[in-house]
Amino acid sequence: MDVHKNKINISIALAVAMGLAACGGSGSGSGSGSKDDGNGKSYPSYTDVELLGGDTTTTEASNSGHGFSTPAPNLTEAEVKHHEEGDANFETSFITAPSNEHPELDGLGPVFNNINCNACHQRDGRNSTILIPDGEKRVLLGSGAGIFLRISKKPDEVCTKGTKENNYCAPIPVPNFGGQLFHRGILQARPDWEQNNFKGQADVYLSYEYLEVTYDDGTKVKLKKPLFEVENAYDSPANFAASELGQPDVLMGWRNGMPVFGLGLLEAIPESAILDNVDVNDKNNDGISGKANYVFDPVKAMAGDDNPVSLGRFGWKANTPSVRVQSLGALRGDIGITNPLFPDESVKGTDLHEKYLSRTGLLDTGKGPNGEPEVDDKFSDSLVFYSETLAVPARRNVKDPDVREGARLFEQVNCTGCHTPKFVTKADGQIGGKDMSKALKSQTIYPFTDMLLHDMGEDLADGRPDFLADGNEWRTRPLWGIGLTKAVNPRAGFLHDGRAATIEEAILWHGGEAEKSKQDFMSLSKKERQQLVKFVNSL
Amino acid sequence: MKKTIIAVSLVTLLAACGGSGKKDDGKFSYAAQDMIVNLTDDVIVAGYSNLAMKGSELFQLTETLQATPNADNWKKVQDAWKAARQPWEQGESHIFGPIEALEIDPHLDSWPLNTVDLKAQLDGNASFDAETIKNWENGVQGFHAMEYLLFGDGVDDNEKAFSESTAREREYLKALAEVLRDYTSDLEKAWKDKFKDTNGETPYAERLKNVSSSPTYSSQVGVIEELVQGMAGIAKEVGEAKIAEPFGGSIDNVDTSKVESQYSWNSLIDFANNIKGVKNVWEGEFSGSKDKPGIVDFVKAGDSALADKVTKQINDSIANIEKIAGDNNMPFRQAIKDADGRKRVQTAVDSLAALKASLENEVVPLIKKWDAK
Repeated sequence: MDVHKNKINISIALAVAMGLAACGGSGSGSGSGSKDDGNGKSYPSYTDVELLGGDTTTTEASNSGHGFSTPAPNLTEAEVKHHEEGDANFETSFITAPSNEHPELDGLGPVFNNINCNACHQRDGRNSTILIPDGEKRVLLGSGAGIFLRISKKPDEVCTKGTKENNYCAPIPVPNFGGQLFHRGILQARPDWEQNNFKGQADVYLSYEYLEVTYDDGTKVKLKKPLFEVENAYDSPANFAASELGQPDVLMGWRNGMPVFGLGLLEAIPESAILDNVDVNDKNNDGISGKANYVFDPVKAMAGDDNPVSLGRFGWKANTPSVRVQSLGALRGDIGITNPLFPDESVKGTDLHEKYLSRTGLLDTGKGPNGEPEVDDKFSDSLVFYSETLAVPARRNVKDPDVREGARLFEQVNCTGCHTPKFVTKADGQIGGKDMSKALKSQTIYPFTDMLLHDMGEDLADGRPDFLADGNEWRTRPLWGIGLTKAVNPRAGFLHDGRAATIEEAILWHGGEAEKSKQDFMSLSKKERQQLVKFVNSL
Repeated sequence: MKKTIIAVSLVTLLAACGGSGKKDDGKFSYAAQDMIVNLTDDVIVAGYSNLAMKGSELFQLTETLQATPNADNWKKVQDAWKAARQPWEQGESHIFGPIEALEIDPHLDSWPLNTVDLKAQLDGNASFDAETIKNWENGVQGFHAMEYLLFGDGVDDNEKAFSESTAREREYLKALAEVLRDYTSDLEKAWKDKFKDTNGETPYAERLKNVSSSPTYSSQVGVIEELVQGMAGIAKEVGEAKIAEPFGGSIDNVDTSKVESQYSWNSLIDFANNIKGVKNVWEGEFSGSKDKPGIVDFVKAGDSALADKVTKQINDSIANIEKIAGDNNMPFRQAIKDADGRKRVQTAVDSLAALKASLENEVVPLIKKWDAK
């Protein structure tokens, strides 16, 4: 009788156990953040961290495409209102001047890359990668493009220290064009507008070249690299070689839109903490330098600073010092909307603009009737605050054993040589020349960037210097939130020109100072490579 | 008897895995796969198929109008524009995936209209076709450019007569309809047949239905979060932007230039359709169709009182938006300038605020209590 009863109990226990197993419960995963899991392996301290942005982290939108678009949860009620005003401004589309219905929204261009911020930072993330339609070899950049070309003249010598005389090592603009190629325009932007409706300074075509990487285990990965062709320049439509843009010393490089969350935190990292990792001459012999960019700072210049130079933090080459300069510079540059920090059109003084003004009767000078810029302080401040205070999404799948193993491998192949995991933001002070929100202060954050420049090798180089950054150098991209990229925009790509469709492809493009880490990654087993990528995708 | 106990144990456990119910640890279980498949195929994709069909009909009617330009065909195009607007606005409850990635939303629903360039283009002689227009400024194409051509400036009336239209306007209208037809077709195909992105060509619907192989979502939690946050987002946009911005803080601060669909006076129908789109996702079926699993069933498994509350708030919001028209079918742009109309508008705004608050503050946090497997 007792034996029989025991059998029944065992049956029930088995049924319960089987049921739980069927549910997927494992009972494993310490979640303790301990260094050693008792398996003889040491795990980095960030392995189990979930809240990458400290108190600014969102856990309620961190699994979906809303992950880059929510306000930091620790903002005050008044700050949320300010943030939401900025949110509306971020999505505001501008139109051709003069508009009777919406004078507050006119002033687009007259040449531009896009009509609102969201168009290049879709859902506050990356723009869509341009794909070549079947049967075609290239695509003309038009209204669906979130990518554009930066342009400049090749300097006579390498600029190593910015002074007033050398314009602080700023890129040298292309005469009659500027520092950015505007491939779009309002209807009558060009002198030959009747043949070139809605065209900008020149036509830009994108195509790809392809190559293949093979691991030792035989696994192959196909990579693509975007190429550009520029034609139909406004100053010499039929003969590009005669255009200012067609001269042999003109440098060009692709630029994609970047995610805009967590930026206030990056600006709040103490400068000293960033400079602690500078190692220009590689004194520690790890093959990794880390160089600070020092750039012209319009906020300081406007305040009358004799040396308007600051540490560069934002942009693909850390060529802007603050969210304020980055976002208001893009508002004026990418969209053509002047603002209090950038009160003149970026094409002011070029033949295109002068002819446009004389032909149309001063329709878009960049100034209002009383000399005021096209948007005011209120619009600008809330737009900047929005990008400063978007929440960082929390991590996903942190307890997944493969993800934890990936963290160990991430450390092992020295990704952290540049992707510095952790910083603590400053306790007080200003960002972009304004008092910073309390929400950003003293936060322990895990952006996985050192905010410094590194030589990433010839394959990634655009050969175009930008302040102290040379043609091979790029600023380390933050990795936080990167695993949500495809949920935010399924067509998004990685790296400065969107060439990498996956994290793995992005790793395989690493070269220069990151060559050793890439080789070490390639030497891992297939399963280990997948684990490392899985960890990055958990960020 | 003992066998019965075993059977009950197994049934309980299986229910915990695949059925729905609450657990002692505050978590609840719900088998979400059927709901996700239904919402994807029978709500989102079905809605986009309807939109593509309406887009195609609209284009065909503009062709007919050009071939036989008369008042009757003009009216048919006006009606077809309104018909296409319905699935478009309902689809705004789930703006994610191809509609953003393929830049379809900014091409079809850009606001404000770039009337300076639109008028200059129409006054000129330059030729155009649909493919050319696709690369033009977004503010001269899409629903609202068509609306402006079809209904006039909307200031005094929304009844632009055929005789007030020009041949060039009708030619441009046809090209815009062709652009709209193409994009709505692309949208349907991207969800249903092939979504070409940097990772392959898997139809977007599969990325929601099969998360284990999805390059987009790492779990079903992500899909549900996407849908619920989308519902909250449009409730907020209708209440706090589409209605509140033109409404202003007082009758002296009304700004009719900010009214959506102001030329056709279709604003209230647009707003109501936005929230009907929320209802589609919430209920899991279009109004009047057979009951299928929707977000309401998911929420019901975790908090049935909350599910009932949100159902009522959705219905109240739709009803209160529709009531803004009052007894004399007053358009929104007039209602915000009318004392009694403003009271009705405020009632609708309050309903939408309550709905948004429930979705953001109660339904979204509830997702964390889901014992997802």
